Amino acid sequence: MMSANEREQSTRAELLLAIETSCDDTCAAVLDGARILSNVISSQAAAHEGFGGVVPEVAARHHLELATPVIDAALGEAGVTLDDIEAVAVTAGPGLIGALLVGVSTAKAIAAARRLPLIPVDHLQGHVAANFLEPEPLAPPFLCLVASGGHTLLAAVREHGGYELLGQTLDDAAGEAFDKSARLLGLGYPGGPALEKEAEGGDPEAFEMPVAMARDPGLDFSFSGLKTALVYRCRELGPEQTAARRADLAASFQAAVVAQLTAKLRRALRRNPWEAVALGGGVAANGPLREAVGRLCEEHGVRLKLVPIALCTDNAAMIGSAARYATPIAYPDYLGYDAFASGERQADGPISGDIGPKSAHRPLV
Amino acid sequence: MLHESLLGLSSEGRPRHATGLLAEVEAAAAAAGGWQDVDLIAVGLGPGSFTGVRVGIATAQGLSASLGLPARGVCTLDALGRGIGAEPGAEGQRLAVLDGFRGEVFAALYGEDGERIWEPAVYKPEQLSERVADLDTTPLVAGSGAVRFRHELTEHGVRIPDDADPVHRVAARHVCAIAATAAAGEVGQLAPIYLRPPDAERWRERDPFPTAE
Ligand SMILES: [Zn+2]
Repeated sequence: MMSANEREQSTRAELLLAIETSCDDTCAAVLDGARILSNVISSQAAAHEGFGGVVPEVAARHHLELATPVIDAALGEAGVTLDDIEAVAVTAGPGLIGALLVGVSTAKAIAAARRLPLIPVDHLQGHVAANFLEPEPLAPPFLCLVASGGHTLLAAVREHGGYELLGQTLDDAAGEAFDKSARLLGLGYPGGPALEKEAEGGDPEAFEMPVAMARDPGLDFSFSGLKTALVYRCRELGPEQTAARRADLAASFQAAVVAQLTAKLRRALRRNPWEAVALGGGVAANGPLREAVGRLCEEHGVRLKLVPIALCTDNAAMIGSAARYATPIAYPDYLGYDAFASGERQADGPISGDIGPKSAHRPLV
Repeated sequence: MLHESLLGLSSEGRPRHATGLLAEVEAAAAAAGGWQDVDLIAVGLGPGSFTGVRVGIATAQGLSASLGLPARGVCTLDALGRGIGAEPGAEGQRLAVLDGFRGEVFAALYGEDGERIWEPAVYKPEQLSERVADLDTTPLVAGSGAVRFRHELTEHGVRIPDDADPVHRVAARHVCAIAATAAAGEVGQLAPIYLRPPDAERWRERDPFPTAE
């Protein structure tokens, strides 16, 4: 059910410029309400390839080079100029602090020079809000699973402006586990797609992998044990056998990740009745995960919303979407606004996001 | 030529800039009569703290794009060197030394007329001190790096003003003065001067995850 305030907000036809630089993609988008006019993503994957993961300083350097061209491209593709923009939204955190600061500094300067309001957005709220975008917006309430290279979380979304965190990873994110395991198996970066492709020809039951947290009654995730198990399997096999049985190793690892994600989702569906489940984040592009979650939703008679692939990985359209339900800060109150890294959050910041009980959870990694 | 107001953003120092810089800039613009009276945005490109440099440049780029104003970048050591040259008694060579963190300094040497003699580079304080000892003259030395490594640098008899002397700070007005005569840079093309590669190699070492190879 939408509150009167939400209905009023969501029908507000506002042209928003949104900027996202929390990790290794430089992103800008223009939204007209829930409609995406442009959504530009400049991936830095190639720059980080040799490292098997994101190097924070490398990411920050690239963001600085790419920010202006990406923003120009977003405005150009949308067919608007800054004169048309009514507010500037930006990811304020969590993420890599050096990377975030490039986006936040740019957004603040663009907004301040034009006396526009600034709307800082929680990155995770962005992933949740990807579901609110046209052409097929999903309205709360729904259960939302976000699995990406930076985060893994299960959230109860009962309103547009926030979510209740039901579970999150206690160590590595699901996508991070994919990346590291792909590196271990000598596959490319980003590891998710490479590992999925390798797994296609493999037997998912060839190697026994622990389904972590299976006995844990909560809804949190853990992937570091799985990664360690793969290290041991590879050591036992030796380099030659590891290479020979790479497809089986990849398939077994992938099956274990999918099993853990779906097990927690199943538990959440059993606890409370839900009408819809939304699956997002970069790992949501994984075929076997999509299939498994699809089957699970069918079993429970729940509607499944798959976030379009382009909106699964980090992007600025989802940040703009979250901004529509967040509190704008008027000029000049945001001149001193700071980004926040992982695990820290401005105490009185106007950021929406996790509105559930916090004590039981570790900070997001 | 018409009166030209310039606004400088110096990005040398700690990344406190994230919270302080934009308010300073807005205040400076207001003092100049508002943005409509500003013709050019000048920004320090570093060297300095990586994050600080980026906050300065990102702010300049955002303002430039939003206001449709040209932006020009200035080497932060050049701005510091110009400030030292403006000191009474600075008739000879000047050595601009910024704290480079991790026990190192960024430095560049300037001649009597402000021309660069040594290009900006990273030094261990002792290395810089030895290089200074080989000079025929005794330069006037200033900057955050000169303050921090006073002991190492004065070994060979250079002059460093008192720690509290404002000459040690990079002044935005010197960034502006240099930018006013420099070639115009394209918006979004303000290349930072890092003088150091990213910490990628260190980062690789720190990664506890073993590879299969
Ligand atoms: Zn993300």
